Amino acid sequence: MKTQLRVNGEPRAIEADSDTPLLWVLRDHLRMTGTKFGCGIGQCGACTVHMNGVATRSCLVPFASAIGTNITTIEGLSRNGTHPLQRAWLEDNVPQCGYCQAGMLMAAAALLHQHGSPTDEQIDSFITNICRCGTYPRIRAAIHKAAARIRAAQEPHPHS
Amino acid sequence: MTTPLLSRRDFIVAASAVGSGMALAIVPRIPDAMPGPATRSELTPWIVISADDTITIRVPGPEAGTGGTTQICMLVAEELQCDWAQVRAEPISYKRNSREGDLYIGQTGTWSTFAGGGHEPEIIATMLQVGASARERLRAAAALRWNVSVGEIEARAGLLTHERTSRQARFGEMAAAAAAIQLAQEPAPKPPAEWTLLRKLNPPRLHIRSVVDGSSVYGIDVCLPGMLYAALVQSPVHGGKLKRFDFEAIRHMPGVMGVAIVDPSEPRIELEKPAFWAHTTAQSGIAVVAKHYWQARKALEALPLEWDPGSGVEWKNTEQIYQAAYARLAEPADEVVKETGHAPKLIEQGGYAVIQARYLTPLCEHAPMEPLNGTALVTDDRVEIWHPLAMTSQALVIAQEETGVAPENIEFHLPLVGGSFGRRVGGDDLRMVLAVAKKFPGTPIHVIWSREETFRQGRYRDLQAARLVAALGADGLPQALVAHVAGHDPVTHGLDDGPYVNGCIPNARIETSNVQMHILTGQFRGPGYNSQCFIIESFIDECAARAHIDPLEYRLRIFSKWPDPGWQACLREVAARAGWGRKLPARHAQGLAIGNWGTSGAPREGTTAAAVATVEVAETGDIVVHALDLAFDCGQILNVDAVRAQLQGSMIFGLNVCLNEELNVENGRIVEGNFDRYPMLRIANVPREINVHMGALSGHARYGGTGEVGVGVVGPAVANAIFRATGKRIRAMPFRNAGLQDT
Repeated sequence: MKTQLRVNGEPRAIEADSDTPLLWVLRDHLRMTGTKFGCGIGQCGACTVHMNGVATRSCLVPFASAIGTNITTIEGLSRNGTHPLQRAWLEDNVPQCGYCQAGMLMAAAALLHQHGSPTDEQIDSFITNICRCGTYPRIRAAIHKAAARIRAAQEPHPHS
Repeated sequence: MTTPLLSRRDFIVAASAVGSGMALAIVPRIPDAMPGPATRSELTPWIVISADDTITIRVPGPEAGTGGTTQICMLVAEELQCDWAQVRAEPISYKRNSREGDLYIGQTGTWSTFAGGGHEPEIIATMLQVGASARERLRAAAALRWNVSVGEIEARAGLLTHERTSRQARFGEMAAAAAAIQLAQEPAPKPPAEWTLLRKLNPPRLHIRSVVDGSSVYGIDVCLPGMLYAALVQSPVHGGKLKRFDFEAIRHMPGVMGVAIVDPSEPRIELEKPAFWAHTTAQSGIAVVAKHYWQARKALEALPLEWDPGSGVEWKNTEQIYQAAYARLAEPADEVVKETGHAPKLIEQGGYAVIQARYLTPLCEHAPMEPLNGTALVTDDRVEIWHPLAMTSQALVIAQEETGVAPENIEFHLPLVGGSFGRRVGGDDLRMVLAVAKKFPGTPIHVIWSREETFRQGRYRDLQAARLVAALGADGLPQALVAHVAGHDPVTHGLDDGPYVNGCIPNARIETSNVQMHILTGQFRGPGYNSQCFIIESFIDECAARAHIDPLEYRLRIFSKWPDPGWQACLREVAARAGWGRKLPARHAQGLAIGNWGTSGAPREGTTAAAVATVEVAETGDIVVHALDLAFDCGQILNVDAVRAQLQGSMIFGLNVCLNEELNVENGRIVEGNFDRYPMLRIANVPREINVHMGALSGHARYGGTGEVGVGVVGPAVANAIFRATGKRIRAMPFRNAGLQDT
């Protein structure tokens, strides 16, 4: 039986066992492999996506319970990788092996939705994903950099 | 400089054939499957220039996060004078390498897989030469076409220019002609002083654009037409055997296609091993194969299984193993690995202040964020492998042993590697993938380990127990040192190759003993060193405390005898930068440690690093690391930001190892299976100050690797800080178990 899921603004027809985690529906049925499998128990955050704008660990979500929600994955975070976070990530050479970074970016994007100017403490409590390469200091710096850029873009132009 | 051989054959123009069979597949960029433009000139086996000016540089090894593939491309681009924005990295074809007489590996050697850590002079020379030779051919082709002197052609930023006649061509326009050019003599690469890219710029690593937009292909992302998934389980007690299983119980489950038994006793050919060989024996296991991964995994969980655990089950708990290792220290050692002077005699004869201590480092799991996995298509006479591996030369031997197929019919497609830290060096995971896939000949099989299986079927950092005894002279400095290390095939890098036992302490003896265990161990970021640096640097700190000499001053005095000034320079630099000796609040203190990765015991080898940890121990016993400072000397640097990233990352890795990491054993099984039981530092727990200081760089000719050294020095720096803050000496990892709360 086919079911509809809304991913990155597009309706997608899916045929999968109903208890299949959203993570594996995205990866294996929709071939959207940007969302990563890390631990399967919601610890590491490599599988973080947005469900109705909220950072969610997709390995713990049976896909049946994702029906009717708006799901955003790393592939839909921006057009052509131009989200301020993605640009800051490139400029600051944040990723090493890179495997956890899609989840980090999705968590950081959800954080910026909630707190446009996050404090270090807000970053600490919001970004609980694991990176084994140790890119944390660069992640923190890149979040601040992207937040500052978003703020600057939103400020009214002095001559307008 | 050795000039790499670039034969006539290397410059044949090869238009790439484009296959359409892979159209639906998610595969890494590989030479044979990559759709390319119609005109794609292979300028050398290393460089392909497309008509649209894309420069594809073939890289002899995978990308596991060090930026090694970017570094190789930067070496080529420095000489090629192409537009860096046009550069793409692509793995070499291993099949072609085999078919054309080690075409690639013959030039760069087995160790090229680690390019990105330390750079072997041969790799640097080869890649610079590859770039220079290609550039000269492009210039010569332009000169020929425009009928001008080659000396008047300038090659820069991907353009060939003849100023006098105002003519210009893009590299892409001249590539086909250049590929046919024969030079009378290969050009000499320019001196490093004239470099404009290397040492000067730190461009984003080539693989990370695809990382941030989610289009990157790691091993786990590989998807091929007709591919099936396999979920694998191995004997929970290492060395055990599958006794019984009941396929009928899962046959009806959705998507299930069958099972594959991995039987270590099946006949396998055995080939000569490469130099860097780890445990790669097949382990008894069973995989359920299904259409989708989740179906395979659920069916595996439902599959009734019975194991014969083997003798490993006799290890009842972790403490029993630790006591066995400690007990071994009291016995005569198996082997003396280093002996200078008469250390035991001096210690026994009296007249010196004698100090002794016992240390322990536990089993640790690499825990790369990408769980173990791999994909293989095996037929009678052909093997195709898509596997996140870290050492291709070893993998090639394993593939031959496991399948019996000749190397010229084995192709590796190298996806990105989601972390290795040594885990993906041995290739035991590849062996299991092939052992499963060969049971389904003609079908690509993607085997994915669960995180729990990844944890429990590791090739762990080995457990080491050590007993150190020193005799201190009237000046407080050690005159004799005896160290006995007992562990599972103990490795003494970091202990036997440092200045202490190679001249600075006049009498030294290092001995080892093997504690037989069933648990499989392997290479772990800085093998041996990651334990031994903690052991020796804690002990030297204890000696300094006994002698009532400041730990910095104590080490400076010891290394005053060492002909490599980098050791003292690292200590002075890190002490100055971290404010060593400044007044700190109550319960706060700093600790110091120094180490080296990559030396053979001679001066000016490998990378030396000194670290200062600034630590607070709360009344609750919680350890808060406020800052880590590190100064290092790897000789020279090609890419400052890449080195900084490796050092930052390795310091954080080392911090997790010392504070958190320990695998426990229960009835022979590994207890920890996931991050809920094996704590990992998150962003909140990492010091805001992770400082890498450049001031101790000597400029010596070597390019030492920088991925390992930080792992070793952080642990002892933190332990030594804890001692200075609390008076309590921690002699075992992980420190979270140290019980530092006020009593």
